[in-house]
Amino acid sequence: MSPETLSPNWAWYFVPMYFFVGGVSAGAYFIGSLVELFGKDDEQHCELSRVAYYIAFPLILITPILLIADLGRPERFWHLFFYVNGGIPYINLQSPLSVGSWALLLYGAMTFLSFLDNLVAAGRVRFAPFAALYNRIPRKVYALIGSLTGFFVASYTGVLVNSTARPLWAATSPLLGALFVVSAGSTGAAAIALVMVFRKMVNGEVFEQLETFDRVAMIAEIVLIVLMIVIAGQFAAPLLTSPYALIFWGGTVLVGILVPLALNWYTRRPDATRSGLVTLAAVLALFGGALLRISLVQAGQA
Amino acid sequence: MAKGMFVDTSICTGCKACQVACKEWNGLAPEPSHFRYDPVAGHIVAINYTGNSYDNTGRLSATDWRHVRFIEQFNPDRSQARWLFMSDSCKHCTDAGCLNACPTSSIIRTDMGNVFVQQETCIGCKYCIPACPFGVISFSEQTGTVHKCTLCNDRIHNGLGTACAKACPTGSIQFGEVADLKAKADARLAQLKALGNTQANIYGYTEASGLNVFYLLLDKPSVYGQPENPVVPQQRLPLESITSIVGALAMGAVALVAFRERGARKREEVRG
Repeated sequence: MSPETLSPNWAWYFVPMYFFVGGVSAGAYFIGSLVELFGKDDEQHCELSRVAYYIAFPLILITPILLIADLGRPERFWHLFFYVNGGIPYINLQSPLSVGSWALLLYGAMTFLSFLDNLVAAGRVRFAPFAALYNRIPRKVYALIGSLTGFFVASYTGVLVNSTARPLWAATSPLLGALFVVSAGSTGAAAIALVMVFRKMVNGEVFEQLETFDRVAMIAEIVLIVLMIVIAGQFAAPLLTSPYALIFWGGTVLVGILVPLALNWYTRRPDATRSGLVTLAAVLALFGGALLRISLVQAGQA
Repeated sequence: MAKGMFVDTSICTGCKACQVACKEWNGLAPEPSHFRYDPVAGHIVAINYTGNSYDNTGRLSATDWRHVRFIEQFNPDRSQARWLFMSDSCKHCTDAGCLNACPTSSIIRTDMGNVFVQQETCIGCKYCIPACPFGVISFSEQTGTVHKCTLCNDRIHNGLGTACAKACPTGSIQFGEVADLKAKADARLAQLKALGNTQANIYGYTEASGLNVFYLLLDKPSVYGQPENPVVPQQRLPLESITSIVGALAMGAVALVAFRERGARKREEVRG
């Protein structure tokens, strides 16, 4: 908690947006994997996992663009993985950015496999050797590794900002990793819900289960945010003053969590008219997730 | 065998010879001009002053690797005054936050214990900047990389001391073996305490797990714009990792309950 620390001046549309898009992708992916691990082995649950896998890969494809564009020397981005003097491949276990880069690579590979498997299974892509190779390993193994990489990608960004000397980021340690993983769960569920509404899949047991998961995640998010403000004490000041007070409390907490939570509670019983409200809740939850990353990262730099 | 510097602020005169020597040796870009002809006023006007005593750069930056701070202190009725100086630079921490944070091993520690940014491999991710507890390392838009004091890496590997220490006319900045410098610092502190400077203290023995560049200060570190209890931010990593794992486990448990148990309960409801 040093008053003299400098800000990296990360623009809100690169690093915080990566935190958000990566979080939605990872959240959707670990939900899909967890459903495959724990859910019933019926068509409905498989369909939920498939939706999750269709979301995860395209979203994570955007993120390297956001990350590389932010670099001072974008053409050198590959130094993250290869460094002659430090050993090939290079990894720095003390740096969440280094470990996270590798995790993102592994996660990208996992989501690509799941995505391709979906396409092959649906007959949209004809690629017989892939199916033969892919199915040599039990599906639960993919789901287990996939959920672990998803959890990692969702949470390491919180650890990344927590392990700095910036007053707000240091004072909210060690909670941001947990907050980001919970937010990823909530926004990932929202993204899945949006696609399910679009594909008219809202009238089943599995959709109710997804809504329950989302509800608990949003409650946990509120609890973690309150806890975070309490442990940050005086260093929470940037979140309590303009302009981040409005973005954080109005945007994230009220519009992005409490309103979707109320809508989620209101639509918890099966009803024909609920898909509009479900869509609204999902859009607001995604909006809130983006503002959560933007306000925490930018307020920490203010 | 670590090399470092001892900065005795009690004998600093604020001459800024160290700032000049640093800029010259390291070929850093000059400061903006302090005078400009104003065509409207019809005469030369002064610009680019910090307005803070004799401070001319305000802080350390990518092109200011040394910065002399000027602190003007007055008692309430302004009958007594004290002018404090502190020539500040990278502290070359023994456990450096910037080096730990660097994902490309661009920031390295050489055999002489100094922390050095390799310009050829830095990718400009800027993650080292918030990882420094002292706000030293800075980004340059011109090079797209970060810059800071190298402890005159080229000079010290060729048997010379740092440029700032060489230029210092009062011996306030001393370069040498850290162990030798600590002995000198302890002796000077004892001398000052005996003379009645009760507030005198050494900054850098325990701060951020120990600094290879340390200071003798005449007042609290915060007076000199230094953090009072800096810590190496990566020390919090184990706890942060555990919290994240707990968060992930909780999400897994929620998924387990939501996607399995509730289905079972529903079947019971149907049966009941």
